[in-house]
Amino acid sequence: MTTAIQQRRGGYVDRPSPSGLADVVELILDKGLVIDAYVRVSLVGIELLTIDARIVIASVDTYLRFAEATNRLDLYDKGGKDLPELMQSMTEGGAKGKTRGALSGAKEKVNELLSSDDDDDDGDEDSRPRRRPRARQAAQRRRSSSQDDE
Amino acid sequence: MTTSVDSWCYVFGIVPAGAPVPASDDGGPAAGLRLVEVGEVAALVGSTPADRGLGRAADLLAHDRVLAAVVAAGTPVLPMRFGAVVTDESAVEAELLSKHQDHFVAVLRSLQGRVQYTVNVRYEQDTVLRQVLAEHPEIARLREIDGAADTRAAFDRRLRLGELVVRALERLRPAEAAAVIDELGDDFDFRAHHSTAPDEVLDAAFLVETARVEEFENRVEELARRHAGRLRVRLVGPSPAYDFVEDV
Repeated sequence: MTTAIQQRRGGYVDRPSPSGLADVVELILDKGLVIDAYVRVSLVGIELLTIDARIVIASVDTYLRFAEATNRLDLYDKGGKDLPELMQSMTEGGAKGKTRGALSGAKEKVNELLSSDDDDDDGDEDSRPRRRPRARQAAQRRRSSSQDDE
Repeated sequence: MTTSVDSWCYVFGIVPAGAPVPASDDGGPAAGLRLVEVGEVAALVGSTPADRGLGRAADLLAHDRVLAAVVAAGTPVLPMRFGAVVTDESAVEAELLSKHQDHFVAVLRSLQGRVQYTVNVRYEQDTVLRQVLAEHPEIARLREIDGAADTRAAFDRRLRLGELVVRALERLRPAEAAAVIDELGDDFDFRAHHSTAPDEVLDAAFLVETARVEEFENRVEELARRHAGRLRVRLVGPSPAYDFVEDV
């Protein structure tokens, strides 16, 4: 749809085309005009998504993910490559995919949630109650950790 | 179906009256697309069953797809927030359009010939982690003793390691983000989002005149080229000016 310009350029910029679900979520959630005439419709999973998309904050999960990513550096160290060499090979080898690794968890999680909501259009009652408490916990964790910071 | 009392009007956005309407499809609220017009402005609406909630992947994608089609047609559009549902067309006329007509006209004029681009810049994970280890000997030391042992002490050490890495990344961010904005040029109107992911440098929306689209894209490409291997740059757009509409 918005691809005419996108296709032309290759190079170094990652241009999702057409925009994937994660980009759409980033782009449209919490944005756009709000007016006071809205009907209250139930927004399936939206509260959850909004929270989950924003909690990539200092939480235990995040710390553990970064610890794991830091420890994983060993894999390269054993290959004996030094930093400039590594950077060069990443640039030349198009190894972008490989270097994404463990840290892109949050968006993947959003995708996961969205696609599972999508799968059972009619009765997703069975799966939602399980997730909701977790999202609340995470939100509380976020609140308390940001209080700690201040 | 589109006029049934069992369906509500899903409002995608506000466009000038008489604007072309994108093709309808059966993806969520993108069914039965039409304009509801009052004077110079119109609401682009679809039909959504009253007994069905919104928020599935198909709904989100439909919202973006329809608005992207409007932008691709060169139509200025004031995008509504996802989930804008009004009971029926007369409510759209009375409560949405008539009430805010002057404001909508003014905003549409200001958005004429402008589109939004969203730039997301992240570190290449391994590269920046190496930098952190090089700049923080205490973190490097902690990593040395971080074995795979399945003990409480090992777990706590791992947690501490991750926390120190995250804090180090967060300290790097402000200067990195400022440098990126500098390179892209602050002659474009932009809104930076609050970064939540520790390895994110910047996520910002830019409002770009269509005449300068190529210039902007070239700057983004140049940024990505210059920092290849250290930063990853994603560019989403052109899209509706989601970040540049204020509430009424």
